[in-house]
Amino acid sequence: MAGVVGFQRWVRALTRARVAGMPALLSASRAASGPSKGMLPGPYPNTPEERAAAAKKYNMRVEDYEPHPDNGEGFGDYPKLPDRSQHERDPWYSWDHPDLRRNWGEPMHWNFDMFIRNRVDTSPTVVPWHTACKHLFGFIGFMLFMFYVGEQFPAYQAVGPKQYPYNNLYLERGGDPDKQPEEVKNYEI
Amino acid sequence: MADYREAPLATRPKTLDPDEYFNLSPDLRRAEEERAAIRANLKRQYQLQLNNPHRKELIEDPALTRWVYARTNPYPHFRATPKTSLLGMLFGVVPLIVLYYTFKTDRDNREEQIKAGTLDRKFKLSY
Repeated sequence: MAGVVGFQRWVRALTRARVAGMPALLSASRAASGPSKGMLPGPYPNTPEERAAAAKKYNMRVEDYEPHPDNGEGFGDYPKLPDRSQHERDPWYSWDHPDLRRNWGEPMHWNFDMFIRNRVDTSPTVVPWHTACKHLFGFIGFMLFMFYVGEQFPAYQAVGPKQYPYNNLYLERGGDPDKQPEEVKNYEI
Repeated sequence: MADYREAPLATRPKTLDPDEYFNLSPDLRRAEEERAAIRANLKRQYQLQLNNPHRKELIEDPALTRWVYARTNPYPHFRATPKTSLLGMLFGVVPLIVLYYTFKTDRDNREEQIKAGTLDRKFKLSY
Protein backbone atom coordinates (compact mmCIF):
# COMPACT_ATOMS: atom_id res chain seq x y z
CA MET A 1 0.00 0.00 0.00
CA ALA A 2 2.52 2.56 -1.14
CA GLY A 3 -0.32 4.95 -1.97
CA VAL A 4 -1.39 5.13 1.66
CA VAL A 5 2.16 5.76 2.92
CA GLY A 6 2.70 8.36 0.21
CA PHE A 7 -0.52 10.12 1.14
CA GLN A 8 0.48 10.23 4.79
CA ARG A 9 3.95 11.57 4.02
CA TRP A 10 2.37 14.20 1.77
CA VAL A 11 -0.11 15.25 4.45
CA ARG A 12 2.68 15.43 7.01
CA ALA A 13 4.79 17.55 4.65
CA LEU A 14 1.89 19.88 4.00
CA THR A 15 1.04 20.36 7.66
CA ARG A 16 4.70 20.89 8.57
CA ALA A 17 5.06 23.46 5.77
CA ARG A 18 2.14 25.38 7.32
CA VAL A 19 0.44 26.03 3.98
CA ALA A 20 -2.81 27.71 4.83
CA GLY A 21 -6.16 27.46 3.10
CA MET A 22 -7.31 25.25 0.26
CA PRO A 23 -3.96 23.97 -1.10
CA ALA A 24 -3.23 22.24 2.19
CA LEU A 25 -6.52 20.39 2.10
CA LEU A 26 -6.38 19.00 -1.45
CA SER A 27 -5.60 15.38 -0.89
CA ALA A 28 -6.13 12.06 -2.50
CA SER A 29 -8.86 10.51 -0.35
CA ARG A 30 -12.41 11.00 -1.58
CA ALA A 31 -15.73 9.49 -0.68
CA ALA A 32 -17.05 6.74 -2.92
CA SER A 33 -20.35 7.38 -4.67
CA GLY A 34 -21.72 4.09 -3.41
CA PRO A 35 -20.01 1.51 -1.24
CA SER A 36 -17.92 -0.87 -3.28
CA LYS A 37 -16.81 -4.15 -1.72
CA GLY A 38 -13.60 -2.53 -0.47
CA MET A 39 -15.47 0.19 1.38
CA LEU A 40 -17.65 -2.09 3.48
CA PRO A 41 -16.47 -3.69 6.73
CA GLY A 42 -14.51 -6.88 6.22
CA PRO A 43 -12.78 -9.60 8.20
CA TYR A 44 -10.23 -8.99 10.94
CA PRO A 45 -6.99 -7.50 9.54
CA ASN A 46 -3.98 -9.71 10.11
CA THR A 47 -1.14 -8.10 8.16
CA PRO A 48 0.06 -4.50 8.53
CA GLU A 49 -1.03 -3.76 4.95
CA GLU A 50 -4.55 -4.90 5.77
CA ARG A 51 -4.52 -2.72 8.86
CA ALA A 52 -3.41 0.32 6.85
CA ALA A 53 -6.07 -0.31 4.24
CA ALA A 54 -8.72 -0.69 6.93
CA ALA A 55 -7.58 2.55 8.63
CA LYS A 56 -7.84 4.39 5.32
CA LYS A 57 -11.25 2.88 4.70
CA TYR A 58 -12.57 4.11 8.04
CA ASN A 59 -10.98 7.58 7.66
CA MET A 60 -8.66 7.08 10.61
CA ARG A 61 -4.93 7.33 11.12
CA VAL A 62 -3.08 4.01 11.05
CA GLU A 63 -1.83 4.63 14.59
CA ASP A 64 -5.34 5.40 15.84
CA TYR A 65 -6.94 2.39 14.16
CA GLU A 66 -7.46 -0.49 16.60
CA PRO A 67 -9.83 -3.31 15.61
CA HIS A 68 -11.89 -5.15 18.18
CA PRO A 69 -10.06 -8.23 19.49
CA ASP A 70 -10.55 -11.20 17.22
CA ASN A 71 -12.54 -13.53 19.50
CA GLY A 72 -15.30 -14.56 17.14
CA GLU A 73 -17.92 -12.16 18.48
CA GLY A 74 -18.75 -10.82 15.02
CA PHE A 75 -16.90 -7.47 14.91
CA GLY A 76 -14.63 -8.16 11.93
CA ASP A 77 -12.34 -5.21 11.25
CA TYR A 78 -14.62 -2.55 12.71
CA PRO A 79 -12.54 -0.12 14.80
CA LYS A 80 -12.72 -0.08 18.58
CA LEU A 81 -13.34 3.55 19.48
CA PRO A 82 -13.24 4.87 23.07
CA ASP A 83 -16.51 4.45 24.98
CA ARG A 84 -17.38 8.14 25.07
CA SER A 85 -20.91 9.42 24.87
CA GLN A 86 -21.95 12.23 22.52
CA HIS A 87 -22.68 14.32 25.63
CA GLU A 88 -18.96 14.85 26.04
CA ARG A 89 -18.39 16.48 22.67
CA ASP A 90 -18.02 20.22 22.37
CA PRO A 91 -21.49 21.78 22.11
CA TRP A 92 -20.10 24.95 20.53
CA TYR A 93 -18.15 23.41 17.63
CA SER A 94 -19.93 23.53 14.28
CA TRP A 95 -20.72 19.85 13.76
CA ASP A 96 -22.18 18.75 10.45
CA HIS A 97 -24.99 17.06 12.42
CA PRO A 98 -25.37 19.22 15.53
CA ASP A 99 -27.94 17.08 17.33
CA LEU A 100 -25.73 14.01 17.02
CA ARG A 101 -22.55 16.06 17.54
CA ARG A 102 -20.91 14.22 14.70
CA ASN A 103 -19.21 15.14 11.44
CA TRP A 104 -19.91 13.54 8.10
CA GLY A 105 -17.67 10.57 7.43
CA GLU A 106 -16.48 10.24 11.00
CA PRO A 107 -16.18 6.60 12.15
CA MET A 108 -19.12 5.69 14.38
CA HIS A 109 -18.79 3.80 17.62
CA TRP A 110 -20.19 0.26 17.55
CA ASN A 111 -22.72 1.33 20.19
CA PHE A 112 -23.35 4.75 18.66
CA ASP A 113 -27.11 4.48 19.14
CA MET A 114 -26.53 3.94 22.86
CA PHE A 115 -24.28 7.00 23.19
CA ILE A 116 -26.61 9.58 21.61
CA ARG A 117 -27.65 12.51 23.72
CA ASN A 118 -30.98 11.03 24.75
CA ARG A 119 -29.36 7.94 26.24
CA VAL A 120 -26.22 6.86 28.06
CA ASP A 121 -24.07 9.74 29.31
CA THR A 122 -20.41 9.18 30.19
CA SER A 123 -19.54 12.82 30.84
CA PRO A 124 -17.84 13.71 34.14
CA THR A 125 -20.16 13.82 37.14
CA VAL A 126 -20.66 17.15 38.86
CA VAL A 127 -19.88 15.71 42.29
CA PRO A 128 -16.97 13.32 42.93
CA TRP A 129 -17.92 9.68 43.17
CA HIS A 130 -17.20 9.07 46.84
CA THR A 131 -19.02 12.25 47.88
CA ALA A 132 -22.08 11.22 45.89
CA CYS A 133 -22.03 7.72 47.43
CA LYS A 134 -21.65 9.13 50.94
CA HIS A 135 -24.53 11.56 50.50
CA LEU A 136 -26.91 9.00 49.05
CA PHE A 137 -26.23 6.09 51.36
CA GLY A 138 -25.92 8.41 54.35
CA PHE A 139 -29.36 9.82 53.73
CA ILE A 140 -30.94 6.42 53.12
CA GLY A 141 -29.23 4.92 56.16
CA PHE A 142 -30.31 7.80 58.37
CA MET A 143 -33.93 7.56 57.25
CA LEU A 144 -34.01 3.80 57.76
CA PHE A 145 -32.54 4.20 61.24
CA MET A 146 -35.06 6.87 62.22
CA PHE A 147 -37.99 4.78 60.94
CA TYR A 148 -36.73 1.84 62.99
CA VAL A 149 -36.50 4.03 66.11
CA GLY A 150 -40.04 5.26 65.41
CA GLU A 151 -41.29 1.68 65.30
CA GLN A 152 -39.66 0.89 68.62
CA PHE A 153 -40.97 4.04 70.41
CA PRO A 154 -44.40 4.79 68.98
CA ALA A 155 -45.88 8.19 69.90
CA TYR A 156 -49.62 8.83 69.68
CA GLN A 157 -52.44 10.44 71.69
CA ALA A 158 -53.41 8.39 74.75
CA VAL A 159 -56.81 6.76 74.27
CA GLY A 160 -58.99 4.68 76.51
CA PRO A 161 -61.97 2.47 75.69
CA LYS A 162 -65.09 4.36 74.61
CA GLN A 163 -67.60 5.08 77.40
CA TYR A 164 -71.35 5.01 76.78
CA PRO A 165 -74.12 6.68 78.84
CA TYR A 166 -77.35 5.12 80.28
CA ASN A 167 -75.52 2.41 82.14
CA ASN A 168 -73.47 1.40 79.13
CA LEU A 169 -76.58 1.56 76.89
CA TYR A 170 -78.38 -1.10 78.93
CA LEU A 171 -81.74 -0.79 77.11
CA GLU A 172 -80.24 -0.42 73.61
CA ARG A 173 -78.22 -3.54 74.13
CA GLY A 174 -81.35 -5.57 74.75
CA GLY A 175 -81.56 -5.33 78.50
CA ASP A 176 -84.81 -6.14 80.28
CA PRO A 177 -86.79 -2.85 80.75
CA ASP A 178 -88.46 -4.06 83.98
CA LYS A 179 -85.29 -5.10 85.70
CA GLN A 180 -83.26 -2.42 87.35
CA PRO A 181 -79.77 -2.40 85.77
CA GLU A 182 -76.73 -2.14 87.93
CA GLU A 183 -75.33 1.34 88.22
CA VAL A 184 -72.32 1.95 85.91
CA LYS A 185 -70.18 4.94 86.79
CA ASN A 186 -67.85 5.95 84.00
CA TYR A 187 -66.43 8.93 85.84
CA GLU A 188 -64.46 9.73 88.93
CA ILE A 189 -64.75 12.90 90.94
CA MET B 1 -11.28 19.30 43.90
CA ALA B 2 -7.85 17.75 44.06
CA ASP B 3 -9.38 14.53 45.35
CA TYR B 4 -12.00 14.32 42.60
CA ARG B 5 -12.70 10.74 41.73
CA GLU B 6 -14.80 10.15 38.63
CA ALA B 7 -17.69 7.72 38.51
CA PRO B 8 -16.85 4.30 37.12
CA LEU B 9 -17.25 4.29 33.31
CA ALA B 10 -17.45 8.09 33.22
CA THR B 11 -14.59 10.34 32.18
CA ARG B 12 -12.50 12.84 34.07
CA PRO B 13 -13.15 16.54 33.37
CA LYS B 14 -10.66 17.85 30.86
CA THR B 15 -9.45 20.55 33.22
CA LEU B 16 -8.41 17.90 35.78
CA ASP B 17 -6.73 15.63 33.23
CA PRO B 18 -2.90 15.84 33.59
CA ASP B 19 -2.41 14.86 29.93
CA GLU B 20 -3.79 18.23 28.89
CA TYR B 21 -0.94 20.06 30.59
CA PHE B 22 2.09 17.77 30.70
CA ASN B 23 2.30 15.34 27.78
CA LEU B 24 2.50 17.76 24.88
CA SER B 25 5.36 16.29 22.86
CA PRO B 26 5.87 17.18 19.18
CA ASP B 27 4.70 13.67 18.25
CA LEU B 28 1.39 14.31 19.94
CA ARG B 29 1.00 17.63 18.17
CA ARG B 30 1.81 16.00 14.84
CA ALA B 31 -0.77 13.30 15.53
CA GLU B 32 -3.37 15.95 16.33
CA GLU B 33 -2.51 17.80 13.13
CA GLU B 34 -2.91 14.65 11.05
CA ARG B 35 -6.27 14.02 12.61
CA ALA B 36 -7.23 17.63 11.94
CA ALA B 37 -6.18 17.21 8.30
CA ILE B 38 -8.40 14.15 7.87
CA ARG B 39 -11.26 15.91 9.61
CA ALA B 40 -10.87 19.03 7.47
CA ASN B 41 -10.85 16.93 4.30
CA LEU B 42 -14.07 15.21 5.28
CA LYS B 43 -15.65 18.55 6.16
CA ARG B 44 -14.66 19.89 2.75
CA GLN B 45 -16.23 16.96 0.95
CA TYR B 46 -19.42 17.35 2.93
CA GLN B 47 -19.66 21.08 2.31
CA LEU B 48 -19.05 20.64 -1.41
CA GLN B 49 -21.90 18.18 -1.62
CA LEU B 50 -24.14 20.20 0.66
CA ASN B 51 -23.77 23.46 -1.24
CA ASN B 52 -23.85 21.95 -4.70
CA PRO B 53 -26.81 23.67 -6.45
CA HIS B 54 -27.27 20.77 -8.87
CA ARG B 55 -27.66 18.19 -6.14
CA LYS B 56 -31.13 16.66 -6.01
CA GLU B 57 -30.53 13.62 -3.83
CA LEU B 58 -29.62 12.94 -0.19
CA ILE B 59 -25.97 13.09 0.81
CA GLU B 60 -24.95 9.53 1.53
CA ASP B 61 -22.64 8.98 4.49
CA PRO B 62 -20.30 6.00 3.90
CA ALA B 63 -19.40 5.84 7.60
CA LEU B 64 -23.07 5.38 8.43
CA THR B 65 -23.43 2.73 5.71
CA ARG B 66 -20.44 0.88 7.10
CA TRP B 67 -21.80 1.07 10.65
CA VAL B 68 -25.18 -0.26 9.65
CA TYR B 69 -23.58 -3.01 7.56
CA ALA B 70 -21.25 -4.00 10.42
CA ARG B 71 -24.06 -4.11 12.96
CA THR B 72 -26.41 -6.14 10.79
CA ASN B 73 -23.85 -8.61 9.41
CA PRO B 74 -21.87 -10.04 12.34
CA TYR B 75 -22.44 -13.66 11.30
CA PRO B 76 -19.66 -13.97 8.68
CA HIS B 77 -17.17 -13.11 11.44
CA PHE B 78 -18.79 -15.23 14.16
CA ARG B 79 -16.88 -18.21 15.50
CA ALA B 80 -18.01 -20.68 18.16
CA THR B 81 -15.47 -20.06 20.93
CA PRO B 82 -16.02 -21.13 24.56
CA LYS B 83 -16.99 -17.58 25.48
CA THR B 84 -19.50 -17.08 22.67
CA SER B 85 -20.98 -20.55 23.25
CA LEU B 86 -21.37 -19.80 26.94
CA LEU B 87 -23.03 -16.47 26.23
CA GLY B 88 -25.35 -18.10 23.70
CA MET B 89 -26.37 -20.73 26.23
CA LEU B 90 -26.83 -18.15 28.98
CA PHE B 91 -29.05 -15.84 26.99
CA GLY B 92 -30.82 -18.26 24.70
CA VAL B 93 -31.26 -21.63 26.36
CA VAL B 94 -31.11 -21.12 30.12
CA PRO B 95 -33.99 -18.59 30.34
CA LEU B 96 -36.27 -20.94 28.43
CA ILE B 97 -35.59 -23.86 30.75
CA VAL B 98 -35.67 -21.85 33.96
CA LEU B 99 -38.87 -20.03 33.06
CA TYR B 100 -40.54 -23.26 31.94
CA TYR B 101 -39.84 -24.98 35.26
CA THR B 102 -40.72 -21.91 37.33
CA PHE B 103 -44.07 -21.39 35.67
CA LYS B 104 -44.90 -25.09 35.59
CA THR B 105 -44.27 -25.63 39.31
CA ASP B 106 -46.10 -22.45 40.27
CA ARG B 107 -49.11 -23.34 38.17
CA ASP B 108 -49.16 -26.94 39.43
CA ASN B 109 -49.13 -25.74 43.04
CA ARG B 110 -51.94 -23.33 42.32
CA GLU B 111 -53.97 -26.11 40.71
CA GLU B 112 -53.44 -28.33 43.76
CA GLN B 113 -54.52 -25.57 46.09
CA ILE B 114 -57.62 -24.89 44.03
CA LYS B 115 -58.54 -28.58 44.09
CA ALA B 116 -57.95 -28.74 47.84
CA GLY B 117 -59.87 -25.50 48.34
CA THR B 118 -57.04 -23.76 50.21
CA LEU B 119 -56.28 -21.07 47.61
CA ASP B 120 -56.41 -17.58 49.14
CA ARG B 121 -57.51 -15.21 46.40
CA LYS B 122 -57.04 -11.94 48.22
CA PHE B 123 -57.58 -9.60 45.30
CA LYS B 124 -60.35 -11.42 43.53
CA LEU B 125 -62.41 -9.03 41.42
CA SER B 126 -64.78 -11.40 39.63
CA TYR B 127 -66.68 -14.35 40.97
